[in-house]
Amino acid sequence: MTLKYLIQKEFLQIRRNAFLPRLIIAFPIVIMCVIPWVMSMEVKNIKVDIVDNERSTLSQQLVHRIEASTYFIFNGQKPTYQSALKEIEEGKADIVLVIPPDYGKNEMLGKDSQVLIAANAVNGTKGSMGAAYLSQIVTSHVQPSMEAIRSGVSTLLLYNKHQNYKLFMIPALFAIVMMLMTGFLPTLNIVGEKEAGTIEQINVTPVSKWSFILAKLIPYWMIALFVITVSLLLAWIVYGITSAGSIGLIYLLAMLLALFFSSFGLIVSNYSNTMQQAIFVMWFFVVCIMLLSGLFTPTRSMPSWAYLTTYINPMHYFIDAIRTVFIRGGGFSDIAHQVFALLGIGLFMGGWAVQSYKKNN
Amino acid sequence: MNAIEVNNISKSYGKVKALDGVSFSVGKGEVFGLIGPDGAGKTSMYRILCTLLLPDSGTATVDGFDTVTQMNEIRRRVGYMPGRFSLYQDLTVQENLEFFATLFGTTIEEGYDSIKAIYSQIERFRDRKAGALSGGMKQKLALSCALVHQPSVLFLDEPTTGVDPVSRKELWEMLLMLKERDITIVASTPYLDEVRCCERVAFLHRGKIQGIDTPERILHQFADIFNPPGLSHAKETEVKEENVIEVSHLVKAFGNFHAVDDISFNVKRGEIFGFLGANGAGKTTAMHMFTGLNQPTSGTGRVAGYDIRTEYEQIKRHIGYMSQKFSLYEDLTVAENIRLFAGIYGMKDAEISRKTDELLERMQFTEHKNTLVASLPLGWKQKLAFSVSIFHEPSVVFLDEPTGGVDPATRRQFWELIYEAAGRGITVFVTTHYMDEAEYCDRISIMVDGKISAIGTPDELKKQFHQPDMDHVFTYLARQATRKSD
Repeated sequence: MTLKYLIQKEFLQIRRNAFLPRLIIAFPIVIMCVIPWVMSMEVKNIKVDIVDNERSTLSQQLVHRIEASTYFIFNGQKPTYQSALKEIEEGKADIVLVIPPDYGKNEMLGKDSQVLIAANAVNGTKGSMGAAYLSQIVTSHVQPSMEAIRSGVSTLLLYNKHQNYKLFMIPALFAIVMMLMTGFLPTLNIVGEKEAGTIEQINVTPVSKWSFILAKLIPYWMIALFVITVSLLLAWIVYGITSAGSIGLIYLLAMLLALFFSSFGLIVSNYSNTMQQAIFVMWFFVVCIMLLSGLFTPTRSMPSWAYLTTYINPMHYFIDAIRTVFIRGGGFSDIAHQVFALLGIGLFMGGWAVQSYKKNN
Repeated sequence: MNAIEVNNISKSYGKVKALDGVSFSVGKGEVFGLIGPDGAGKTSMYRILCTLLLPDSGTATVDGFDTVTQMNEIRRRVGYMPGRFSLYQDLTVQENLEFFATLFGTTIEEGYDSIKAIYSQIERFRDRKAGALSGGMKQKLALSCALVHQPSVLFLDEPTTGVDPVSRKELWEMLLMLKERDITIVASTPYLDEVRCCERVAFLHRGKIQGIDTPERILHQFADIFNPPGLSHAKETEVKEENVIEVSHLVKAFGNFHAVDDISFNVKRGEIFGFLGANGAGKTTAMHMFTGLNQPTSGTGRVAGYDIRTEYEQIKRHIGYMSQKFSLYEDLTVAENIRLFAGIYGMKDAEISRKTDELLERMQFTEHKNTLVASLPLGWKQKLAFSVSIFHEPSVVFLDEPTGGVDPATRRQFWELIYEAAGRGITVFVTTHYMDEAEYCDRISIMVDGKISAIGTPDELKKQFHQPDMDHVFTYLARQATRKSD
């Protein structure tokens, strides 16, 4: 029953800390309220310069179409390509559209009419997406029939019908919040006791390794429960996004991820001598785990050697499973594979955390 | 002109008055002691004189410069050696010295003459990390660092905490040598023999100067604080013939280095056993083996009836331990700390709360039951840590330098607690650097270079080595050490 006293102590210490309780509350709120607005792959507000060398009715119609588009900000007409390019160099414009002198004439004669689109690709996504939007407008302007053809091909988007980027991002944000809260706090825990000297006092008591480590883990699982609840509520209140699948499964996944990260944090803490060392090592692993997990980029487009790492990356299983449940509404059978993988990795790390805590040396 | 003039300095932290109208002056080339119990305001005074802290009211000058308006001039002229943390543990001896020299815009070569006498003793180890030095050598290095820019005033804030008597004597010999070079020294210390090395001392108590005079007069005038009457150890319980600790031919080796080298001794139930030795003699390593934190390389030993090689987890059930580093949780209250450790030893809730009240009552500490440990004065923390370590009534309690940096009156109270515990039949195994405490023990051993070179009652040892007191016995034995290197 020593566990009870040890857990009490951990909670008291977290509560006494002037900073941690506020962080635990503020952290999920800030992440959930700010990041979904910012993390969007949609490209908007592209500044366009137009060099109209013909100034015919037809070319002016094209200019008006671009002006009307919500994707573009019409930055003005320039007399020459050089002066427009200068604006790009100065960062005042993103794309230049050059309409040749015989654009309207060729069009009337039924010849190929061409325009030039020059995009600043320093920001790759903005450049390529902007150029694609722009060429769409140009094409549909000269060949209205194209639009009719395109409408003949129907694309059916499943599950996330409006391609709402927020819906895609929110499960990823759950993962990030859980990772930071349940990963970094335990990392600082044992090494903190080492620095304060209290670990020696614990080591000469008959307390077992299991209860000591378990007493360290349980508070972080509680924090994980709290954090995931706040995150789910915020997703619902702020964005009106709720889980398509069972909430119970979401909690199960969150707890499994918390098991992994809190154990991992304690392992790092056990092997470190200073907080500085511990936090640096943890940071390295967290960045690798996050970027290799498919949080932001599809894992299938990784090179195959990098894809192999996803088999041991718990974050990959978590993000796969939570998107299945949250967006698609999948049931347990759809994510059984990921649940068992997470459980396996979590238990392995938990055992290691106990193993690496040395009462004797 | 006086080297230091302090006029009516006051400083408060919130409601706490750390310094209250303090005035004194120190002549050039004087060795001046600033003494007083923990929390008297000594460190605040040092920080004001070193321009690290601004006083609320009053003025102070160092070397003729004002501590508020001319701080840059002062910083160039003073050397400050705080009690702890003044060295970079990860840098080598030489790198530390170079760093401090560079800070003051000088080089080791330029300042070499002024530190030669001290630095030459540790120069052999210039490539060793400061963290790997023994306590005495760290002090020498810290002193070298404080002197490398040839300061005219030197401030030493309890420089010898946790340092063994021999190293302490060496440090003071060096300080008195500096005096010949007209360096003014202001030092504070809890050791009476060091107080006596000063020419004049100021006694600071509760933020006020109570008296400034020669050391002898001050110590006499405030004898109840500095020189409490010695404890008479009434033998309430007889020492039983049963051995609680039995050790034979114990060795702990780290590579080729034998930290503990073939020690054998017994400690009987109810005894107070003093385990003495210079810094780096192997005391802490030996203690770690007895408490099950570490296992011996060879040899055998039993503590409380259990084998230290195999049954160390059982040993932990039957012992108490108080480590050198402060060992309670600072962010928990007094009652919460007691509850945690009692719970770990398997005591029941009802029993814990009953015994907690009893203990606090006995220590007259009931009103601080819900005070955070961090806000208690050091002496109280130590007493509390000791009470916690024997709360579960162990058969032996191990105390590793429990009274480091504590003033004499508080140390005496601490020993009253030890006697009380021994009276209840708890065997006490204690290390200390205070030789007056050594006299309080029933039996002591002195460790030199990993071996026990003397064991017996204090009186027996004094007779055996023909020395007047324990201080001389210790110095005599510790000076024979050849292992000065660590």
